[in-house]
Amino acid sequence: MAATCVALVRRSPLTRKSALTQNSKRRDNQRPQPLSTNRWTSLFELLSVLADRAMHGRSGATLPTVVSHDSRFSVRVCVASLVAFFLCVGCEKGTNVSVVTVSTSDGQTITREPIVLSLPMRTDGPKSMDPVRGSTTYDNRACCQVYETLVEYRYLGPLELKPLLLAEMPEVVNHGTVYRFKLKEGVRFQDDPCFPGGRGRPLTSADVFYSWKRMADNDNSPKSWWLLKGAIKGFDSYREEQNAAETFDYDAEVAGMRIINDREFEVELNQPVYRFMYVLAMFQLSIVPREAVETYQERFGLHPVGTGPFQLRDESDWERANYLILHRNPDYHACHFPLKEEVPEALHGFCKEDSFGKRLPLADRVEISFFIQDQPMWLKFRSREVLYSQVPAESYPSAFIKRTGKLRDSYVAEGIVHHAVPLLDYIFFGFNMEDKLLGGDDDKNRYLRQAISLAIDWDERNAMFYNGNNIVYDGPIPPGLDGYPVNGRAPKNYRGPNIEKANELLAKAGYPGGKGLPEIDYYVSRGANNEEQTELLTRQLAKIHLAMNLHLVDFSTLINAITKKKAPMFSFAWGSDYPDGENNLALFYGPNRSPGSNHFNYQNPEFDDLYEQIRGMAPSPERTKIYQQMRDMVIEDVPAIGSMARTRNYVVNPQLRNFLPTENFYNWVKYLDLAE
Amino acid sequence: MWTFIFRRLVYNVPVYLAILLFVMAALRVSDPVPGFLGKNASQEDYDAFRQKAGLDQPFLKQYVDFVKSIVTCDFSTESWDRTGATVQDRLTKCILPTLSLTVPALIITSIVSVTIGLISAYFRGGLIDRTLVFLAVLGMSVSFLVYIILGQYFGAYMLTRALGTPVFAIHGYRPGLENWPFYMLLPVMISVIVSMGYDTRFYRAAIVEETGQDYITTARAKGASGRKVLFVHVLRNALIPIITRIMITLPFLITGSVLLESYFGIPGMGNELISAINSKDFPIIQAFTAVFAGVFILSNILTDVCYAIVDPRVRLS
Repeated sequence: MAATCVALVRRSPLTRKSALTQNSKRRDNQRPQPLSTNRWTSLFELLSVLADRAMHGRSGATLPTVVSHDSRFSVRVCVASLVAFFLCVGCEKGTNVSVVTVSTSDGQTITREPIVLSLPMRTDGPKSMDPVRGSTTYDNRACCQVYETLVEYRYLGPLELKPLLLAEMPEVVNHGTVYRFKLKEGVRFQDDPCFPGGRGRPLTSADVFYSWKRMADNDNSPKSWWLLKGAIKGFDSYREEQNAAETFDYDAEVAGMRIINDREFEVELNQPVYRFMYVLAMFQLSIVPREAVETYQERFGLHPVGTGPFQLRDESDWERANYLILHRNPDYHACHFPLKEEVPEALHGFCKEDSFGKRLPLADRVEISFFIQDQPMWLKFRSREVLYSQVPAESYPSAFIKRTGKLRDSYVAEGIVHHAVPLLDYIFFGFNMEDKLLGGDDDKNRYLRQAISLAIDWDERNAMFYNGNNIVYDGPIPPGLDGYPVNGRAPKNYRGPNIEKANELLAKAGYPGGKGLPEIDYYVSRGANNEEQTELLTRQLAKIHLAMNLHLVDFSTLINAITKKKAPMFSFAWGSDYPDGENNLALFYGPNRSPGSNHFNYQNPEFDDLYEQIRGMAPSPERTKIYQQMRDMVIEDVPAIGSMARTRNYVVNPQLRNFLPTENFYNWVKYLDLAE
Repeated sequence: MWTFIFRRLVYNVPVYLAILLFVMAALRVSDPVPGFLGKNASQEDYDAFRQKAGLDQPFLKQYVDFVKSIVTCDFSTESWDRTGATVQDRLTKCILPTLSLTVPALIITSIVSVTIGLISAYFRGGLIDRTLVFLAVLGMSVSFLVYIILGQYFGAYMLTRALGTPVFAIHGYRPGLENWPFYMLLPVMISVIVSMGYDTRFYRAAIVEETGQDYITTARAKGASGRKVLFVHVLRNALIPIITRIMITLPFLITGSVLLESYFGIPGMGNELISAINSKDFPIIQAFTAVFAGVFILSNILTDVCYAIVDPRVRLS
């Protein structure tokens, strides 16, 4: 039997004119009052009356007495002009729903106030909501609410993959080269006019291959073809042929893609590559319906249609540099919040008690505000108009006690919770190993690189520019991944500052006291505080009498110089594409050298053999051991100095429940709920 | 008059073409494609994209095509950054939020500044004049960013906390007159306060200069009251510098205010341009620069026409 309740709209800051029911009550008394009741309403009404009279020439008998009879005409004209101008600006678009009707897991239908999540995004918004064209974190965050991939990362648990659009994890046969997939039953695309009758149809195997083939079509300007490059049998040649042909044939066969039936298909790889599973979880490989792509064509990026928990109902719900409003997908397939026993006990406190086992998504509407500047985001967080926020650098001292790094008592008293989220970051100083002075694998050159490494004080950089929040570690594998050294410190390392040892090695390299050593050309992108960071580096290296010739350039120029092997020493950061150390070790794999991702042009046959070995290996203690071995090779040969991983500080208002911030994946919005 | 306007337009055509040539050349000094496609793109991707964007064509052909698109007002080129949206889509979407910020700000600033300039000139050398000049100099000495940060903090955030109800939005924008005061009044007020210092000093100087003219002495000798002299004689003759000042501002009405827009979340032209520059959205940058140059030239012509209207001594022949 349907239970019905009518209550107040849980008003969001983007919502301005929903009607309040008479028996309504505010659940959240800490939230500012509804905007439609503010004093501007009466001002607007007054202006409307004045304008109306000015335009219709009626008597202004009820004009405020402060307006003299003589000045009435000019007032009317001014008001009429203002009204005329602003009416040109347009009318408010209502986005409100006072109540929603939802089905419960036990089959009942209830009417209740909508749950609206007001979330921030620290950018002017996603560039496109076509997964194939997306590449940034922000594209990811927007796309993965509407679209879905075959597998996803586990939320509130260990960082591992689990099926999303699949009925089960794929069966891997033929020595890791053949993957057999079975799609989950009951998955439908969101309703959209592109489908017959406007009703979304069930997902099929053909949709998966169609979506992947879009990655190969140059007309789509895919930014992430490298994810599939060389992976699937016959896919690279298919790409070449079809791009050379007059029209791209999506129905042409690819040797490694085989449809068994509507729900089952098989993929054959050129060689065993374990990262293929991680690639399947990346938003660029989300599944899209062919009908929508063909109907909306170039505008498909503005009109997403997926299988995800939320949908963009109207293109006007997304305004660049302003907001993105997503609504619950009423036909979302059976997907549930983890059961209590599946969630580690330490995380139970973050979860709302009645969320466990509940059908997703928990929210009815998600309103994402875009913030180009940090101050408004922070102020909106402090006034509880957005539910969480990253802590901007300038707000750090007001929110945290610098000495302990703990949240201030006043914040704790408000119920605000702090989460420090380490990123999969690899911030390094790199060398071009083909450079005559700094490169090369003979001892003399290696000593020079080791000496430079020993002169650099990462902790000072961390304290000076990052409030000491970053994690300094040895080698290229970031915290949280297999192969990361215990406590960040490798058994043998060249982490500075150790000026004495650095001078010793410098002498062994043939430059005692830095004599005879020419200036080192150092390339770095300008912007942020890179100039200041370079000052620090210059000062640190001066301690071993090493002089720098600085090249502060645009990021594109930097990448160009590195790709063309013109930069002997350089710096930038690598964010892991997926949570596996293999992604970072690939940066040192010989065949990937410039213009590939091995910007260091590091070549070590032993390292390359090991890399080829681990490429097809699933996570295991054996694989971790090889990762450590490869990590230590990089530390010893010093093609790169480092490293450091940034930590992002999140603060969460008490209204938001079930939120455990992560930046490894972004489809966690479906798990979020509001406090009672 | 029409001959004059036509002649000025014709004179400015080669200037405009030269500006376009310069803009296009400058934007191509550094190849925009690698910057846009990012770290993982291959040489093959760069070439394919260059071909798709028409950047593999000879420069002269690109120039002719671009001029053709300007002449026919055809801005249907697709944005690189937001596929599916044309340059026209993006620019037209931003123009109204920008104008709803800049036009009221210009109108209010001009009215208030001219008024204060007149008051200041009327009480020239007195306490009122000195106080107003002091405040104007003080206003000019503070950075725009400080006004925005403090205005947002106190005017929106603290006021909301103090009253328990939001008076001004901290951030965001909704179209419609009924939303205008809530979302736009605070940014407009900040913009007015920032501009007032400069404008007041300028208008005061222009008005004071007029008060020393012989015709003012004559008017006074004829027995005209101080107010009549100021509002009828001085103000009318001081209109030339006032018009110059306002006309100089006109092209910037469409560029918006990058800082105000980015702090208050107004999806206007300033934001759009900065976003296009950051994301290397070449077609947007190129079109915007061309449009801005055109508006600048037009506003120059309009200034001359206004001179002729307000001052009969200006001969257009």
